Amino acid sequence: MVFTLILTALYNAMLAVAIYIAEKKTAFGRIEYKKKQIIIGILFGAMAAFASTKFAGVDIGDGTIMNVRDAAPLCAGLIFGAPAGIIAGIIGGLYRYISAFFGLTGTYTQLACSISTALAGFIAAALRKFMFDNKKPGWIYGLGIGMLCEIIHMLMIFFTNANDPSTAFNFVKICSLPMMLCNGFSVGAAVLVISLLGKDKDAVQFGKRHISRTFQMWLFICIVVAYVLTSTYTYMLQSQMSNTETETVIKTSIDDVNQDIHDTSDENLLNKTNLVKSDYLASSDKSEAFLQTLADKYHVAEIHIVDDNGIIVNTNAPRYLGFDMASGEQSAEFLVLLDGTHKSFAQDYRPQSYDSSAAYKYAGVTLQGGGFLQVGYDASEFRADIDSTVEKIATNRHIGENGFIVICDDEWNIVSEGTDYTGYNLASIGIRIDPEKNAENTIFSTDFNGKPHLVEYEYAEGYYIVGVIGEEEALFMRDVSVYLSSFMEVLIFAALFILVYFLIKKLIIDNLMKVNRALSKITNGNLDITVDVRANEEFASLSDDINSTVDTLKRYISEAEARIDAELEFAKQIQHSALPSVFPPYPNRKEFDIYAQMDTAKEVGGDFYDFYMLDDSTIAFLIADVSGKGIPAAMFMMKAKTIIKDLAESGLEVNDIFTQANEKLCENNDAGMFVTAWMAIVDLKTGVMSVANAGHNPPVLKRANGKFEYEKQRAGFVLAGMEGIKYRKTEIQLAPGDEIYLYTDGVTEATDKDDKLYGEDRLTYLLNSLSDTDVKSICEEVKKDIDRFVGDAPQFDDITMVSFRLNFIKGDDKLSFIPGKDAGTAVSDFAQQLTSKLDVLPKISSKVSIAIDEIASNIINYSKAKTAEISYSIEKNKLNLMFEDDGKPYNPLETEDPDITLSAEERQIGGLGIFMVKKMTESMDYKYENNKNILKLVMALNS
Amino acid sequence: MTIKQTNEYGKLTLALSGRLDTVTAPDLEAALDASLSGATELCFDFTDLEYISSAGLRVLLKAQKIMNTKGKMTITGVNETIMEVFDITGFADILTIE
Repeated sequence: MVFTLILTALYNAMLAVAIYIAEKKTAFGRIEYKKKQIIIGILFGAMAAFASTKFAGVDIGDGTIMNVRDAAPLCAGLIFGAPAGIIAGIIGGLYRYISAFFGLTGTYTQLACSISTALAGFIAAALRKFMFDNKKPGWIYGLGIGMLCEIIHMLMIFFTNANDPSTAFNFVKICSLPMMLCNGFSVGAAVLVISLLGKDKDAVQFGKRHISRTFQMWLFICIVVAYVLTSTYTYMLQSQMSNTETETVIKTSIDDVNQDIHDTSDENLLNKTNLVKSDYLASSDKSEAFLQTLADKYHVAEIHIVDDNGIIVNTNAPRYLGFDMASGEQSAEFLVLLDGTHKSFAQDYRPQSYDSSAAYKYAGVTLQGGGFLQVGYDASEFRADIDSTVEKIATNRHIGENGFIVICDDEWNIVSEGTDYTGYNLASIGIRIDPEKNAENTIFSTDFNGKPHLVEYEYAEGYYIVGVIGEEEALFMRDVSVYLSSFMEVLIFAALFILVYFLIKKLIIDNLMKVNRALSKITNGNLDITVDVRANEEFASLSDDINSTVDTLKRYISEAEARIDAELEFAKQIQHSALPSVFPPYPNRKEFDIYAQMDTAKEVGGDFYDFYMLDDSTIAFLIADVSGKGIPAAMFMMKAKTIIKDLAESGLEVNDIFTQANEKLCENNDAGMFVTAWMAIVDLKTGVMSVANAGHNPPVLKRANGKFEYEKQRAGFVLAGMEGIKYRKTEIQLAPGDEIYLYTDGVTEATDKDDKLYGEDRLTYLLNSLSDTDVKSICEEVKKDIDRFVGDAPQFDDITMVSFRLNFIKGDDKLSFIPGKDAGTAVSDFAQQLTSKLDVLPKISSKVSIAIDEIASNIINYSKAKTAEISYSIEKNKLNLMFEDDGKPYNPLETEDPDITLSAEERQIGGLGIFMVKKMTESMDYKYENNKNILKLVMALNS
Repeated sequence: MTIKQTNEYGKLTLALSGRLDTVTAPDLEAALDASLSGATELCFDFTDLEYISSAGLRVLLKAQKIMNTKGKMTITGVNETIMEVFDITGFADILTIE
């Protein structure tokens, strides 16, 4: 029986688990929320309908089935969502209502059950939404809510059957406990199983929140105490009232019967007395014997004639003669017949004054002329008279609904008619009355028909009047009111509990959460968040305090930031001013071009470049990247730069510079910083470039008329990384027009917003696509391309580049150059250098200059040569000048001399230069060899 | 080479110093292009000029041709080397050397 209920209770948990798993593992989980709620609602609605049937519940008679229907909508609502709960509730309620018409479920609780099931859905929905923040509750809550809904259910049964409280009460008495337990168990178990299954952390656990936990605990204690007190008081009060009421009811009935018996016996005796009186008056014989005759005739014991003084003057029993009626209490009552107020008087059956051992019932009627006639009889005499009447007195009398009243003789034999027990001794039917213990007119309990009954009796005219009522019936109102008030109290306290929980949550916890959320954003670094909780005075003031604290903090931070920014900006200026930044740095040096630029990501970075002339014909340049960023990197960079420059200026080879710099940088390098560096020293007289690489990106080299390509060599270890490193030197022969581009990894590792790297391929592609490979524009174009590539993404690393171009190589007795822009200057410089060495007459040196200028300008302007070279030697006052170029073959000796006699208007300028050279030199010799024009001039230095 | 330029009453005087060669001749040509239009008399002062190459001669010839149409051109302070060049090239006959 109970097993069926428990099983049905478990079905809810099973259905919940099935839906939960389906949601996680199957396509069901991907259904839209609304549809999912409807499906879950229908499933639990069907479960509610099933729980209503006699297969799932316990029939307690009259077709009413004790069930666990309400648990289904509660499970749907609490576990899966408010809409599902409401749908399940409505379906369950409707089924219950309609099925009753077809006799499938009981009609007595039809309305109550339907309403409470629908209500359960709404309650689950409301609680989930407002109390549990749309999350699953803890299992304790599930249990409590399940039980609470059954209390509502029970109250509904009372309310819908207010006109028949006793049947309603019967149902409630039987159903309330099992249904509360089973429904509570069902919901609690379902919630618990789902929580365990999902290891749900988001379920609202009982006591998870500390404030509400404390409140709830104290509230719960107070409520329990209040409940116990009020219930006990109600119980006691109701018991008292019921007892009093029952007593009153029984007493009233008994008194009625009592009165009836008295009335009957009084009437009977007065009748007899009047008959005796008329016989006595009609007879002239007033003798004692006559009175005895009358007594016998009327079956009475005594007949007394009392005079107007209250003295018995005539009697059938001579012993009473002369008895003064006033002498006894019992007899004195009859004196009322002498004062004219009463014409007749009947007295209860009781002991007489004359002889208290004898009990009689007396009646008297007044006699004309004073005095009265008194008649008395004993019990046996008057009972024979009134028994037949008394037997009928209790008929149709009952107490309450099922209580009854009987009249017994003095032997406790039931004489009253109208009961099944007439003729039985009271004790033989189970009602034992011991007058010694059970006083007259007091209520006491005794078992009758196996059930406790309340009994009261009264003695009247020799009869016992006994009232009996079932204790259950007597206490019915008490029990109903105790149940009702208990239910109501639980309901009210639950409402209070929820209200307090809700208020605390609304007023304190939610606001605290808001404050905490804002605070956690603030502590995560977003100082622009303001706390704005204005729900009440306290939180408004808390919000204001937090905001003003944050504002103050923000102000301090921005002040500090401004100061740091200024200092960093200052550091940046120092750092930049330490690097050569005027371009072109050597305007008089035409042999080479150099350009460098640095864009730091932060105010100060770890990149640097440097270049300096080590002597008149040697330039050193380098690029480097210190690990890390910011002030420490900048300081280390300054140190590295200074050390390298000092070593370079002391005339060391490039590899030795690095080897020694490494040793120095390793000293006291507690911060573990290191530098990658690439350095070159170029001999401008020979074009030989000595290179050392300490872990830096390889340079990109472009040969004159070639393409930019990586010049990859094995790099050494980084500087300051480890002591005792020996660096290698690589020599690269540069030719006029060769270019070299150096960069730090800020270039190739520049990232766009998708974290893509700029990369080496894009770099070489760009370099080779440039039309102008001027050192400055190379750097600028690369930077522009990086900017295009990066877009809005922030710059993470310093971007530093150096580019170097060798224009020509001016040796002591040789000039290599590219015929083209600036070549004239190179030639002019070379000629000047030569003539200043010669120490000859200005006239001679001018001729030398003219010769070099004329031949070189021919090569530059007309030969289309890619490279050219001028060299010389001196022997015996003769200067041998040699011109080589790889241009188109051209023999100047074959040039026709110009006509120098023509007027200005007629003169052509062509051929004049060669003509002049011819005139100024001693000999000219031309040959074309190995695709080269080779022209030799011999000039006298002493004429 | 440096060019010192004075212009008074239509007489343009250019005092050259240094070398007038392939590298510097374009500078002189540019200076003449800029200043010659209003001049009726052009005077080159070669006192401080070291030597002259064919590129310089070309500029002088061009100037001479222009001045032949609108006035006169003279050259002063010619040194030995330059004079030799003028002689070799026949420019001595074309130019007015004072």
